[in-house]
Amino acid sequence: MNTMRKTTLAVTALGVTAALALAGCAGGSSSGGNTDAAATGDIRVWLNGTDTPQAARDYLKTTFESEHPGSTLTIEEQAWTGLVDKLTTNLSGSDSPDVVEVGNTQAAAFTSAGAFLDLTDQYDALGGSDLLPGFVEAGSYDGKFFAAPYYSGARLVFYKKDLLAKAGLTVPTTLDQYISNGVALAAANPGVSGIYFPGQDWYNALPYIWENGGEIATQSGATWTSSFSSPESIAGLKQVQEVMTKASVAPKDGNETDPQVPFCEGVIANLSAPSWVKGSILAPADAKAPGCPDQEANLGVYALPGKSGGAAHVFAGGSNIAVSAKSAHPELAKDALAIMLSDDYQTILGKAGLVPAKVSLASTIGTDDVAKATAEAAANAKLTPASPKWADVEASGALQDFFVAIGQGGDVTALAQALDQKIDGILNS
Amino acid sequence: MSSSVMLVREHESGGVQELPLRPGPKKKRGPSRAKAGRFTPGVLLLPALVILAVVIGWPLVQLFVMSFQEFGRAQVFGAPAPFVGFDNYTKVLSDPQFWAVLLRSVLFCLANVITAMVLGTLVALLMNRVNRFFKVLVSVGLLLAWAMPALTATIVWGWMFDTQYGVVNYLLEAVTGQDFTNHSWLIDPFSFFVVATIIVTWGAVPFVAFTIFAGLTQVPEEVLEAAQLDGAGGWKRFRLIVFPYLRSIFVVVIILQVIWDLRVFTQIFALQGIGGIKEETSTLGVYIYQTSLGKGDYGTGGAIAVIMVILMVSISLVYVRRSLKQEES
Amino acid sequence: MSAVVSARRPARRPSARKRTTGILLGAASVVVFLFSVFPVYWMVNTSLQPNNEIRGSVPNFVPQNLTTSNYVTVLFEPSRAPFLPALGNSLMVTVSTVVIALVFAFLASLAVTRYRFKSRKTFIFVILIIQMIPAEAMIVSTYRVLDGWGLLNTIAGLTLVYVATVLPFTIWTLRGFVNGVPVELEEAAMIDGCSRSGAFWRITFPLLAPGLVATGVFGFIQAWNEFLLALVVNSRPEMMTLPVWLRTFQQTTGTTDWAAIMAGSTLMAIPVIVFFLLVQGRMTSGLVGGAVKG
Repeated sequence: MNTMRKTTLAVTALGVTAALALAGCAGGSSSGGNTDAAATGDIRVWLNGTDTPQAARDYLKTTFESEHPGSTLTIEEQAWTGLVDKLTTNLSGSDSPDVVEVGNTQAAAFTSAGAFLDLTDQYDALGGSDLLPGFVEAGSYDGKFFAAPYYSGARLVFYKKDLLAKAGLTVPTTLDQYISNGVALAAANPGVSGIYFPGQDWYNALPYIWENGGEIATQSGATWTSSFSSPESIAGLKQVQEVMTKASVAPKDGNETDPQVPFCEGVIANLSAPSWVKGSILAPADAKAPGCPDQEANLGVYALPGKSGGAAHVFAGGSNIAVSAKSAHPELAKDALAIMLSDDYQTILGKAGLVPAKVSLASTIGTDDVAKATAEAAANAKLTPASPKWADVEASGALQDFFVAIGQGGDVTALAQALDQKIDGILNS
Repeated sequence: MSSSVMLVREHESGGVQELPLRPGPKKKRGPSRAKAGRFTPGVLLLPALVILAVVIGWPLVQLFVMSFQEFGRAQVFGAPAPFVGFDNYTKVLSDPQFWAVLLRSVLFCLANVITAMVLGTLVALLMNRVNRFFKVLVSVGLLLAWAMPALTATIVWGWMFDTQYGVVNYLLEAVTGQDFTNHSWLIDPFSFFVVATIIVTWGAVPFVAFTIFAGLTQVPEEVLEAAQLDGAGGWKRFRLIVFPYLRSIFVVVIILQVIWDLRVFTQIFALQGIGGIKEETSTLGVYIYQTSLGKGDYGTGGAIAVIMVILMVSISLVYVRRSLKQEES
Repeated sequence: MSAVVSARRPARRPSARKRTTGILLGAASVVVFLFSVFPVYWMVNTSLQPNNEIRGSVPNFVPQNLTTSNYVTVLFEPSRAPFLPALGNSLMVTVSTVVIALVFAFLASLAVTRYRFKSRKTFIFVILIIQMIPAEAMIVSTYRVLDGWGLLNTIAGLTLVYVATVLPFTIWTLRGFVNGVPVELEEAAMIDGCSRSGAFWRITFPLLAPGLVATGVFGFIQAWNEFLLALVVNSRPEMMTLPVWLRTFQQTTGTTDWAAIMAGSTLMAIPVIVFFLLVQGRMTSGLVGGAVKG
């Protein structure tokens, strides 16, 4: 199964590359028709949240400004909340930022709308087939390459070693065992989540669907079909419901922010969260967002196991990076983007625990437990449907609502059918 | 707040103030002054009209046009927007979710207007009765509540109603002895709106109370005392004496509350970010936001906005016509 | 006035009953006060505690370890969006909005109260309708208008939109105030040799002080608190206003720093409270002054 998946990815990547090569020949001259290559200017780079480490920001600014004397580069940090609104308006306006980071699941909304500059002729220079294939796909539209991969992240399971040992359990090797462990831990420790699963955390529900053979949505021709109510998906969703109702005492309408707080309070046995949450958990007790560093020895980590062993398909979160079509200095912006995909820059990201945009740099994330688990999880990570309308599905909040209702013990089949209808409506509108 | 005082007077002395001034100055001292004095309504209205036309009028026209177009994110980035006739409208009107949202908004609006008006009036009457110390105490409290930005207020209330660490759950458990550990206030739509009503009312009562209080100070003390001597009880005095004096204040405040509550956005939007089920808790403002900016369907969002405005206009038309007629007479 | 009343009342009412009523009313006042103030208190209380103490199973009703570190964090930490420029932007936008809106609204309200003209009713009606338009629906169109005028990321652009937003309410309310100033006063002044505009500025305008303050307060709150448009229109960090600044503390993927949010919220509320306290006295004194009917 593993090999098959890899082949699929490779084929997809090849297909994209081929298309890119063709498009590159045809469109090379038109997209490069800027005359300000020598001009100087101020390049505004929008980075989201605090994911990009300070070292990388410094490197980007220094490198860019030393390579382009007279030009400056300003990094403007944006909040993930409301990002799509802000990008939609600002990328279409005359005061557009030059380089923008966009969530990989949001990228399609902008590539399809013509918000980004065509980077097809840069594809090879930026890394070519070394770039994370799923993210190249997310950043491509209509055979053209618009948004380069920036970084990826995978969700891992953090656990309390003592709780697991006390219950006489071992690190699970299959998804079913993971669930039964969670239920057993919750039963043995009242008030403790065997598996922490707040209702709005829909990313964490996807592996259950994928592992049972389900899909979020499938495409035939131009039509998308949402398939939450397929028998396979339903099987996965029932598992989600089991975890939410029997293994988790997290708020049924809570979201995934700040999981380190309940974790440090000792009311979580297993926590499925992005890899960088380790840093939050072990943050000094007097930090702004304090963690519990005394738990370091007790903190274990593993990749979520799949239905038949190995690592499960988890959601590949991450970002793409693109140049605004309205950028006043497209050549400078492209250079800035190239720096962000350089080996040096990507190595800084890797050392900060993010999966680099280039496959060849995967080893930079290190060799500790987290790095090993990350590598395992990232290898099997999957993306949301590559439809330009998918970002709208996310923005509609329908998924959060759906899983909150599942967590409340609602009728899975009926809810899934209603959700499918809603998503079909958005994807095919 | 004191605006209402004037509004009362406008009502009282309707005949007097409507004496139209003959345009132009009656007497002039010097030519330069006379020139400066030659205002016409057009000139006076010009600044306001220009700014309204540019900032509200023109985008409104665009919005109206958009509501007849297929207008998505691609159109924002310059793709041509095809006209689709009334498609967006039929889509909205045939969507059961729209009607659910509409019904919810109207009910929420009614509940909030009634709550805020009743509580605000009671607080105003209270302020009118108590001594200076308590009056200042209540005023300070109301001022603080009024000064809190809606976004901040919602965040703070959301934090107080937090499922795990909220002070409300703690207090309820301490006071009632019931188990409120991890009680989620937002997951049940009804409970969500109870919390939302508390937040909105908390922010609205100061305005209502101050306005009505300002009006109360205008009710002649002698009239009340005479009524008291005649043995009229509290409720009777309010109904027969105070209320008629304040009628126009009430009308104005209610109209404003209806408008503000029907298009409530910040509180609901921020509260949804904290918890709850969006689909079952969206009000018109939030629904428009989700459709336009969230889903990127600006055409449909425009259609909903147009429908909403038509609806509100027809609600308030009755009032406006009456009050304008009153002015004319 | 109240002194006279309370001096008379004991003669008519049994004092025991009066005392009970007094106690009940006092108690009600305290309840109103507590209910109004508690969220504000809770915000300040949270902001003064170390972050790791605000999420305990038992909340601290008084800070156990009083700290100002949250304020230091939001004010001075370099990785945060800076507070002072945002405060400056907010003050500039808000003050300009209030001033411009008041002047324009005063002129317009004169027009609709002191003159009869054909489209007068239509104008008043339109003013009311504008207040009903959901702002959320207009963001994209408004953005484009500002873009067309080159007003993105400027104080002027944001001010322009806020003025337009508060203008209808301000005109509508001021209209009532102007109606309250008897025309005879202006006429008398004009007979005394004032020009018409002189009569407006010297007689009507001062009498409108409470009205201007009251409507100014409304404009102040609106402009100070507006979030959505400021987020979209002023996207450059140096042009950020306070509500947008506050929002940077709340990240969906990062960690939400509640103590810092509460500290930021407190900082954001302080100027409004100060402004309110400043104008409150003026408002009440203006009320009394405005009560003289001439």
